[in-house]
Amino acid sequence: MLMGCADSYHWTASHPSYHKAPYGGIAVTGIENAFVITRSNWFAKRLEISTDSIQIKGTEHCRKTFETELRKAYGNLIVLPDTANSKFPEESLKLDERIFIKGHIPEQGVTLKDSAGNVPPIVLILHEFIIGTDLKRENFFDYALIHNESGSIRKPDNVSAIFSYTLWDNLKQRPLFSAVDEIQQPITTYKLKDLTNLIQIAIQKIRKNLYEGVVK
Amino acid sequence: MKKLLVILMILVAWASASEVYFDSRFTLWKDATVYIWTLDGNSPVNANEFCLSLRRNNTGIGEPKCRELGEWERDTVATRYGSWLSNNLEKGLPSSYLRARHPGMAAKIQALEDNIVLLLIPQGKFIQVAIFDETAQEPKAAGIVKANNDKVALSDDIAATFFDKRTKRRLTKEERLKKQTEPDDLYKEVPNLKVWAGVGIGYSQAHFPLTPDNWTSSHTKSRVKNYRVTKDSVSLWNFIEDSDAFLSLYAGLTWHGFIGVEFMYRYSNRDMKTDKSDTVYRELDHWNFGQHDIGLNALLSMTYPITPWLDITPLFFLGFQYTFYVEDIGLKNEKQEPSRAYKYRIKFEDLYKGALIGVGGQFVFKKHYGIDLRTGVSSRGRDLYVAPSPDAGAAPTTIGKSTIDCFVSLGFEYHWTL
Repeated sequence: MLMGCADSYHWTASHPSYHKAPYGGIAVTGIENAFVITRSNWFAKRLEISTDSIQIKGTEHCRKTFETELRKAYGNLIVLPDTANSKFPEESLKLDERIFIKGHIPEQGVTLKDSAGNVPPIVLILHEFIIGTDLKRENFFDYALIHNESGSIRKPDNVSAIFSYTLWDNLKQRPLFSAVDEIQQPITTYKLKDLTNLIQIAIQKIRKNLYEGVVK
Repeated sequence: MKKLLVILMILVAWASASEVYFDSRFTLWKDATVYIWTLDGNSPVNANEFCLSLRRNNTGIGEPKCRELGEWERDTVATRYGSWLSNNLEKGLPSSYLRARHPGMAAKIQALEDNIVLLLIPQGKFIQVAIFDETAQEPKAAGIVKANNDKVALSDDIAATFFDKRTKRRLTKEERLKKQTEPDDLYKEVPNLKVWAGVGIGYSQAHFPLTPDNWTSSHTKSRVKNYRVTKDSVSLWNFIEDSDAFLSLYAGLTWHGFIGVEFMYRYSNRDMKTDKSDTVYRELDHWNFGQHDIGLNALLSMTYPITPWLDITPLFFLGFQYTFYVEDIGLKNEKQEPSRAYKYRIKFEDLYKGALIGVGGQFVFKKHYGIDLRTGVSSRGRDLYVAPSPDAGAAPTTIGKSTIDCFVSLGFEYHWTL
């Protein structure tokens, strides 16, 4: 039965008033703390970073790449510090009968502001960005499967990224679009440029989803 | 045409400037308490005037009480939600998108008990209206009314648009408490074993309703000549009456509300279809057969509790039956010696074996008293499990080896659980 349900997941949810995908400018928040690298040893060995600092250095690299790539896509990018949003309580957002995103969402009636006090109209809130090997998003987001443990460590086939995000209407304080995405990147030899490439693919995927999620 | 439609629509919109975006039927209490919530403290209506408007527009409302909701007006969380709602209230947006997410706000709404909150937010030419009660964290009703400096007229407009529904008597504190702890009437565990016994009456006939007459007319129109001669003897309906009432007795049980068995007995008295033109029957006073069916059905059923006092159980049954006929024949009193044809009259098989299939429903009132409706098809024939004999070809045809009819029945039952 569980298998029967597996292909009927909805991994995205749009607000009925989401009529226009962001273009030209966007604000982003959450990127300081969203990135998590699992299997640190595996990545440390390949990226030639010491195990002690793989979390710090690896995620820092991801954050920078993410910001750069997003700036390329949306010329006018405002980066809001995580604290702008993380001060609000964590809530869950329903995408599907079984899929819930957990994340910080601004309070109704309160707008996010940048350091200069401006109110960006649209904010991309990155809730989580998990990097690992052979991960499946249903194991993270389907409440019925989250207790599944991965099998014994074997030679991985793919580097995976699972990330959840919300496009936030900052003027009306409502979630315009939310999604959980999954990327599988086949492993040959894994170097830092492959990690950069992973983030690039992620940005492409986010942009594509933001366009496809528009309610016509 | 299109232009005309647009003009008409504009006219309609203009005539009724107030518009209800959604109204999920909030409970309007008799002697209701209405809290008027505004974001800035400048209420577009006067609380006392609004109460009078309610009484003018809804005769069933009794003596409502209205006051301004200063507690929410001064509260940051409530004000933020209120202004957010004003920003988000759009025509066509389902109310679930307007839920108050802040736990503090949700708690405030939940604590309303049976009071109604009426949120009024002036927006230029219109006033946004949203109504809350304790049952949901989103507005129960929302819409807009046309702004009006005449506070009485505005009150009347709001009252007529949102408060013109039937009222309910408010429950006392004790009644509310009792209602909260009241068990669910429809909650019921499926019994392991449900048993019933019943008597019923029914009607069976060889001709199937809605089928052409000529499918069965060879049987139904048949008459018996000379105590034994018919055109065809494949069906017993060539000999005996093919449509008759029957009486039934039955008892059954269901395991876990799903699968069951039922034992049944049916009796009907069937006259012989004698050809009245045949003079040989002049000696005959009566000739009929008592038909006894004894059968066992397997049942598949599912019980649906409709109200606390009525359960409906649709069922499907499939079974087998044995039928035997008891002859009752008598000559007229003055006739002493029967004719030769009488002595060599038709004889039926000792026992016929057949199958039953059908659907029905049990309507059980007050858990015990059931009415049962059934319809189905039954057959009688020779025993299929007789080993074929080498003389089969030469043997005479079995009389009534394919006797099929359909039936409806009405039963009265008593149910109990074990």
